Amino acid sequence: MDDRSFAAAQDFLLASKTFWTKEIFPELRRTYADAARNSAKPPTNPEEVENLLQDNTLYQYFSWLERHLQRFKYSGRYGLIPYHDERREELSPQLRNTGAELSSDLEMPVYYRRFDIHQHPGGVWSDELDGFVYKRGARSTTPLMGASHADLHQRFTNLVAAQENAEHISDILDMGCGFGKSTHPFAQGFPSARIEAIDLSAPCVTLGARDAQERGEDNIKFRQMNAYETVYDDDSFDLVTSTMLIHEMPPSEIGRLFDESVRVLRPGGRIAHLDFYAIDGPFARFIHYGHGRRNNEPFMQPWAELDVVEALSNRGFANIEIIPFQEAEGVNPGDHQAWRFPWTVIHAEKPAAV
Amino acid sequence: MNLMETLLVDRPEQTFFDDPALDRTFGVVMALATEVYVQRDRLRALERQLQEASILNIDNLNGEPSDAERQANAIDREQFVEGLLINLLGKQQAKGAI
Repeated sequence: MDDRSFAAAQDFLLASKTFWTKEIFPELRRTYADAARNSAKPPTNPEEVENLLQDNTLYQYFSWLERHLQRFKYSGRYGLIPYHDERREELSPQLRNTGAELSSDLEMPVYYRRFDIHQHPGGVWSDELDGFVYKRGARSTTPLMGASHADLHQRFTNLVAAQENAEHISDILDMGCGFGKSTHPFAQGFPSARIEAIDLSAPCVTLGARDAQERGEDNIKFRQMNAYETVYDDDSFDLVTSTMLIHEMPPSEIGRLFDESVRVLRPGGRIAHLDFYAIDGPFARFIHYGHGRRNNEPFMQPWAELDVVEALSNRGFANIEIIPFQEAEGVNPGDHQAWRFPWTVIHAEKPAAV
Repeated sequence: MNLMETLLVDRPEQTFFDDPALDRTFGVVMALATEVYVQRDRLRALERQLQEASILNIDNLNGEPSDAERQANAIDREQFVEGLLINLLGKQQAKGAI
């Protein structure tokens, strides 16, 4: 397929997703509000919302579009997969000598192998070009933000940098770094810090290392590694961070990730995870859980239902904060008309006494 | 080409409508809509490039066609409509006995 046709098709799909985001979702919410108002017993949980909406035609189209626009994006005639596959000879050499440290004997966890998250065929790890695919696909993950996630990641970095004593952060661990989109703003925001960027996906860390190399960011080291089984010594970092990682993990693995975080953090160090967590009301919860099912992200729901304050407290974390996050200018996390993810920052500290 | 080996896996797709036929039909509609947009994008790019090369007068192209031009296209138009809507009549096109 030629580049123009690919771009046109992807633009069409993104425009369709934007219509879904800004027009169909608000109309669905109005439909729900009317139905709930006229119901003898307004829903108090996602199951009751489902009972109210499952036969609604608009909800059926909403659901269909959410699943299948994503399928077209990856697997359709003009999908990311065939587009990149046709360019394999051109792209593969770009992944050589990037400086990424790969671990060929690293076993992929069962939960990671079992689901093609985001409907990415084969997951984001099984083909050498998966980093390119994920990077190109990320442009249209959140239609409200247009072609770039830069605003989102920069805002998160700014929030972390604004925390008390952030100027003393000298060692950062970016868990589940993907192709480095979250890592790059930290490298810029903390130019004197050493940053370790780790991910299970070899294709992603390789691409991240290539991009960092091209930008001349020599304070980042990309390594293929499991976030809950790292090789780092105790008390190695001042900040452990992740972006859109935790909701892809089952609760037991999340617990292990928190265990590993507290182990590798220095006393007084902090965690800052940007993820989808603070969800207000049964309708928003129903929509979010449905997104998890439709987008092959089955652990969104158990993560959203996890008592994260308790999970962190039990591991000795203190000053735990759950902060609704404004991902872009003009977005009001508490009252936004268009569809959006429930962006949330989870911030906590490892006390000196732990 | 075996689609099950190349494009599909042997797992049922999620369904959202009361009749799963609609799930599949809407997939065909959206695939066609994507194709239409790809062609539309290409046509506009072609027009732009031809105009920039002074090969095409875009005002002439955008203007309402003359009766003669319409007439010249009439047979093609009728055949297009016939091919599209003949499907609604519910009749066989094969000639053999049922």
